[in-house]
Amino acid sequence: MTAIDYLQFVLAPQVVNGLALGVAVVLVALGLTIIFGMLDVINMSHGEFYAIGAYAALALAAAGVGFWFLLVLVPVLMIPLGMAAERLLIRPVFGSKDRHVTTLLVTFGLGLIVEDVLKIIFGANTQRPPTPIPGASEMFGIILPNYRLFLILVGAAIVLGVAYVVYRTRLGAMVRAAAFDRNMAASLGVPVSLVYAGTFAFGVGLAGLAGVLLAPIYSVFPTMGRDFILLAFTVVIVGGMGSIWGAVVAGLLLTQVQALASLVISPVWTDPIVFGTMVAFLVFRPQGLFGRLGHA
Amino acid sequence: MHDRLTQSMRASHLLALLFVLASLGLAAIGAVTGDTFYLRLGTEALIFAGLALSVDLLLGYSGALSLGQALYFGIGAYVSALTLMKVPSFWLAMAAAFAASLLAAIIGGLIANRVRGVYFALITFGLAQVFAKVVYNTRELGASDGMIGIPVIEIGFGPFSVSAGSPVGFFLVVLSIIMGLYALTAYLLDTPFGRVLTALKANEKRVPFLGYSVWRARMAAYVLAGLIAGLSGALYPMLRGFVSPELMFFATSGNAVISVILGGVGTLIGAIYGSVLLVILKSIIGSWTEHHLIVIGALFMVCVMFLPKGLIGFVRPRIEALLMRRPQAGPALAEPARLTPAALKSGSAS
Repeated sequence: MTAIDYLQFVLAPQVVNGLALGVAVVLVALGLTIIFGMLDVINMSHGEFYAIGAYAALALAAAGVGFWFLLVLVPVLMIPLGMAAERLLIRPVFGSKDRHVTTLLVTFGLGLIVEDVLKIIFGANTQRPPTPIPGASEMFGIILPNYRLFLILVGAAIVLGVAYVVYRTRLGAMVRAAAFDRNMAASLGVPVSLVYAGTFAFGVGLAGLAGVLLAPIYSVFPTMGRDFILLAFTVVIVGGMGSIWGAVVAGLLLTQVQALASLVISPVWTDPIVFGTMVAFLVFRPQGLFGRLGHA
Repeated sequence: MHDRLTQSMRASHLLALLFVLASLGLAAIGAVTGDTFYLRLGTEALIFAGLALSVDLLLGYSGALSLGQALYFGIGAYVSALTLMKVPSFWLAMAAAFAASLLAAIIGGLIANRVRGVYFALITFGLAQVFAKVVYNTRELGASDGMIGIPVIEIGFGPFSVSAGSPVGFFLVVLSIIMGLYALTAYLLDTPFGRVLTALKANEKRVPFLGYSVWRARMAAYVLAGLIAGLSGALYPMLRGFVSPELMFFATSGNAVISVILGGVGTLIGAIYGSVLLVILKSIIGSWTEHHLIVIGALFMVCVMFLPKGLIGFVRPRIEALLMRRPQAGPALAEPARLTPAALKSGSAS
């Protein structure tokens, strides 16, 4: 095999597959990082919200709802759920002394319940929805599944959309202001409590959207959230807690590290390598690649 | 006269004594009726109580939430299993588990103690997940199946010996080890080192100004917690005859955290009661539905939100009041000021 062949048939597909995984991880991490940046809450049940999204898509698809409509419908349905979770679970303990730990524990408990509820409703078996966009296309002599290409494009669009809303709109300015100084924002007329609930719900909606998009690739099962959550947390830490661009850069970077490392060493050892990268970041740059949401 | 911390620890000790007496009573009933199942279940609850104890030492005293304490539990269990398969000696297995978890906790502590707060929680979570994944994929360690066929050992105490196969005998061995670990931890927390730990939770910024090294105290607490988890884990293969990577998974760490929250954070004995309570709940609920997580998750959330001091935190103040009522030697004012969380808080300007 020549060097060009290696590049074309081994390296390039691996990079593209890594990119698809990277987009998937960024989608999951995006909601996580927004919720942390805004509310200072580590949402341990984020993986379960992702699973709810996937199951909702599965159930609605069985009821005859088309895939394109699902992309809108599921996140919208997730928003009241997120609002309720924020109001009933986060809000009561938000003022407690050890907010980080308390909210983390509450969402951890919520995750346990959701996982079991999903098991009761849908059973413990793995289900795999059909790929909405079948087939594969050839680019530069590499054969790539269409759905993965679609995922990469949609993922990029979602990230850009979210970043636009957060950094370029009045709504985003309100969100960032409330994250930076909630008392000041409140006195300037920002409905802080609504913004908090809305942001949490928005993050939950993003998790649901990720569930819809990733279900055809990674299958649907009650504990599906667990597979992603460690990588998503790693991405959030490396990128800088609460930074959108940080999550994107770190997500793509770490999944490339994983994809390329698995060419050289046994895939078993790629997790320690990715995690080692996180440790190195924590040691040398604890604040991550980028600063926090609302903190310039 | 003692300060409040000592006072509340005395209440904990009373509850610990109650626990031991109740355990001995139940063990006697078990021995008379020739029961195996419930004694084994109780032994398992005690082993996991050791893990919960280590979580409480970190969360309740130095204020650091570890979501990966099962890492050291699993290391202790695997090292003990490997040792037992070569040489079926209880003391050798415990010594090997001690050494391995000491080493692992020092390495893990060096990594995890670079950060604090949620980062600490996440990094301990990650450390355990990654290590568990490596074990899960290592064929030499039995991969996903774990290791079976660990011999039933004779545990020698000088002239006496107890078989790990005897339900009552091993129950008593585990009970004495776990309560020994409890006593050791409680003792250490009553030394100046322990007061520095509680000071860390109360006001970490102020601690260095009082001349104590924050890092050293956090590290010591972390290593101690790792050792407790490792020694508890070492008992597991002796009871069940196998080890599996599940011992290191998040579910195990999570159960320990649940036990601590149910029992009461920062009470030490609460972790042990909580662990037993969790096992009882699981087997009661498990007898009519397999979906016990819903009930436990809900109970856990209720505890976090409305009962932050847990079961023991609810009971202990009453016992403290009872202890206070008994006349004690010496007037209260004779005691020189000590490093207590209350003193730290009232002294902090911020």
